[in-house]
Amino acid sequence: MISCKTLPLAENRQLNASYRVLVVRDAEMAANCRPGMFCELKAAVPEQERKLFKPVSVYGVSGDEVSFLIKVIGPGTASLAALQPGDPLQVLGLLGNGFPIVENKMVLLVSGGVGYPPLAYLREFLESDNDIHFLHGGACAEDVFPCDEVFTDDGCAGKRGFVTDGVDKLLAEKNIDVVFSCGPLPMLKKLAQLVAPLPHYCSLEAYMACGVGVCHGCAVPVGEDYSRVCKEGPVFEAAQVRWGEI
Amino acid sequence: MNPLATSLGRLSLESPVAVASGTFGTEYFDLFPQAVLGLYISKTITMEPREGNPPTRLYETEAGLLNAIGLQNPGLQGFIRDELPRLRDILEIPLMVSFSGASQDEFSQILETLEREPGISGYEVNVSCPNVEREGIAFGADPDVVFSLTRRLAALTNKELTVKLSPNVTDIAAIAQAAETGGATSLSLINTLYGMAIDWKTGRSRISRPVCGYSGTGIKPVALALTYKTAQTVRIPILALGGIFSWQDALEFFYAGASSIAVGTAFFSDPLVAVKLRDGLVDFLNSKGLSLKDIIGKVSL
Repeated sequence: MISCKTLPLAENRQLNASYRVLVVRDAEMAANCRPGMFCELKAAVPEQERKLFKPVSVYGVSGDEVSFLIKVIGPGTASLAALQPGDPLQVLGLLGNGFPIVENKMVLLVSGGVGYPPLAYLREFLESDNDIHFLHGGACAEDVFPCDEVFTDDGCAGKRGFVTDGVDKLLAEKNIDVVFSCGPLPMLKKLAQLVAPLPHYCSLEAYMACGVGVCHGCAVPVGEDYSRVCKEGPVFEAAQVRWGEI
Repeated sequence: MNPLATSLGRLSLESPVAVASGTFGTEYFDLFPQAVLGLYISKTITMEPREGNPPTRLYETEAGLLNAIGLQNPGLQGFIRDELPRLRDILEIPLMVSFSGASQDEFSQILETLEREPGISGYEVNVSCPNVEREGIAFGADPDVVFSLTRRLAALTNKELTVKLSPNVTDIAAIAQAAETGGATSLSLINTLYGMAIDWKTGRSRISRPVCGYSGTGIKPVALALTYKTAQTVRIPILALGGIFSWQDALEFFYAGASSIAVGTAFFSDPLVAVKLRDGLVDFLNSKGLSLKDIIGKVSL
């Protein structure tokens, strides 16, 4: 069941110049949340009143707290970042399908940039029952978060290169059973080629309006025609994505 | 006495708040009770299924939203098989089915087929979608075509027949008059304006179909002017839409001559917007001791 609530922000923690963690308390949402789900968020401030929400993946759940990791990109995310504890945050959610949960598998998690949060949440969910390798890539040191292996474009943190370079090496060394990913489309596309035919579930990003499946704005070429990132997704089987059209 | 009671041609509406085709689904009834609305208008269907335009389909501008969805829909038979039974089960408010065709024959065939289905209170004839090649605006820009199409369709039904007009024409009043003369029992306006956005850093169009539809807050003055102009020309009622976000916005359209209004893009900024709009209208009218009918078309110049 989707709800639309205005919740007081519980916490706004700065990670670095571009990233922040926003926390709200909502027992119902916390109880029903699964990795890969997302919410549409908007600061309840006058200048955002007639603007669209921003779709943001859930970063984690702890007790009745639900957290979101956001990157400041434009005015919408800047207004989210400017919220103080107690300020009202509009939350439309929970939305999307989430990742499938696996057991007793050798799991590879691959994220790029702001694609990190849903996989960090998934790792928490999976780590007691699976063997996990988590690779993350970013443009610069700011885009780096805790995981097993880090790649940056300029080598300023972790290894120099793309996260997909590390995937190649890992596939040769380990018997990976299943892959989960989230990140920029070029990264996902490359990854889908590298890890095929392994089961691979990727969380896709799209420009989004309604978030609930009515406007068909966030369509992506998946399956026979188009699928909605907000409704059928955001998590899709990589083999179903028509990567050539992306 | 319900101060919001209104009518749209043959339909009596308990609330003057409707929804813009393609921006609304029953999903929203998880968030608010459907009695807030007076009329449910479904997403436009076509004879054959349409997969819609490739991504990217959306871009938010300074004051509104660009879209190029491309009438993605399951087609007439898919709608009748999968969606209509569900809508009949769920809806407690009148259902208006929006449809479009690639020829006058196709419009007629769709209407004839829908006429055999129970649970439909009226039709929105979409002759104004800017995002498809053959269906849509090609029909809505020529008064002679609108007249002959409306005349054919009016002969096929006794239900409410609304023609949805485009703002992307030279003279909306001539087209409105053609629809009225043809037998339309109401008009809805406006569909989206033409719009475009380009990424100045790369020179690339922001949307896959460069000239697409523009809706939302920025188009309100245009919609209001066209509502006024049309209301000055025709006697059939007008369902007005275009950038309506608040009860204050809605009042402007009633003064301009609309007897009901629809909310569209605003749902994407506030899924509860229709509730606030309806409640605001009730409070305003009660505080003035007025009913909606007292203000429709009463703009002072």
